[in-house]
Amino acid sequence: MHRLLTEQQQLRYEEFNNFVASNVEPDAETWERDQEIPDAVISLMAKSGYLGASLPREFGGQGWDIVTFGLLNEAFGRSSSSLTSVLTVQAMVSMALLKWGTAAQKAVWLARLASGETVASFALTEPDAGSALQSLTTAFTRRTGSDFLVLNGSKRWITCAQRAGLFLVFGKLEQQSVACLVPRETPGLEIEPIRELMGFRAAGLAQLTFTNAEVPVANVVGKPGFALSHIAPVGLHFGRISTACSALGLLRGCCEVSSAYATERKIADRAVGEIGMIRSLIARMGTDFKAASFLCYDACQSEDDRAPEAFENALTAKYFTSRAAVNAASDAVQIRGASGCHASSPTSRYYRSAKITEIIEGTTQIHEDLLGKIFVGRARAPAGRSAPGAGV
Amino acid sequence: MTSESSESLSAEGDVRAIVRRFLLRSINIPDIGEDDDLFESGIVNSLFAVQLTTFIEKTFRIEITADDLDIQNFKSLNAATDFVLRRRATVQS
Repeated sequence: MHRLLTEQQQLRYEEFNNFVASNVEPDAETWERDQEIPDAVISLMAKSGYLGASLPREFGGQGWDIVTFGLLNEAFGRSSSSLTSVLTVQAMVSMALLKWGTAAQKAVWLARLASGETVASFALTEPDAGSALQSLTTAFTRRTGSDFLVLNGSKRWITCAQRAGLFLVFGKLEQQSVACLVPRETPGLEIEPIRELMGFRAAGLAQLTFTNAEVPVANVVGKPGFALSHIAPVGLHFGRISTACSALGLLRGCCEVSSAYATERKIADRAVGEIGMIRSLIARMGTDFKAASFLCYDACQSEDDRAPEAFENALTAKYFTSRAAVNAASDAVQIRGASGCHASSPTSRYYRSAKITEIIEGTTQIHEDLLGKIFVGRARAPAGRSAPGAGV
Repeated sequence: MTSESSESLSAEGDVRAIVRRFLLRSINIPDIGEDDDLFESGIVNSLFAVQLTTFIEKTFRIEITADDLDIQNFKSLNAATDFVLRRRATVQS
């Protein structure tokens, strides 16, 4: 995939990898153990412009193309899926707001998001509504004669919620779906950290409980009735791009660590890499990495092209790469044996984190349902009339 | 997917034909009535609404904002065609 990148994209990718090697890799395991990422690391990312990577310059962002955003996520995903999740949710909220926010909302929030002064969180999942988005029960109600909505309900498994200063909350208003910006300091919002996850341990997940929380009507993003059809899909789209590229970085880590081990580790004076069965495992993960690289690039580039098929391409990239990452992480542990199960090896972290990428921003099964429908539908199409994305 | 030149999209028939072609390719059906309701019929998937938005923006060089979020603008072939023509008329006037 490297040959498809522009010189500028390659230079930025080198910068991202240098940042990660200096500031992420040395402490990534400690953060997982402590279930927390130090504020100083987030500040350093913000200072480097990474939290506003894909926002336009007019809002204080870097204005980088989405391929570069993908490279950023890949570089961070190589060492810490948890830290990459900050980039994920920041982009999900930022890009949904950029597309559907009012001028006033953009003026207030986008510069803060771009600079990293505010970290955002995408509050969609509920205790009883994970993938079934139509089943949301979080309720916004109008208060007669007031410019405020009253919010009641709860959200669960919300990434980065322990740290976020702004939530994009999805719910129902008079039986219509609605998305609304809710600042952290809103009275009636309680944030309860969720700990002891198997992976993604430093991603700051929390449960949000809203009890008669009042939010201005002016904080509604888009219009009621369009939150699930137009606002959420934009956020989830960038979430899938980010997660696919993060999983790609993890997959690269598995390849690099396994290949290095296969070269260095000797059994009876014979390098592990000379054993055919080990080579088979490395060949599979290396080939998956190449294939996933092209899918991720395609997803990012089609978004840069503003192509309608970008949404499908992001689904495909996330679906393939997260599954490949799970397989590669399992094989990377297997290659190292007992030492691969220990915290001193990144493979144990890869193994725990990889599975999470198959669940966030839509499970593998949700992706299969959507992609299956698309591919079956394509077979139904009249000859010569291929669907968006076909042959891309 | 390539953007059509703005000169070639002035005629109502052209706009309708281009939107129709996109709808048929997206939904994978042999034909569509001009007033068939795309969303109530259940024939579109959860990505369709944002794909249609992106298609209209790119093809006709129109920016769709929150103010345009009205189901009457996008619910059928005729609705989407009329929306494009109205917005293009606004831009050109």
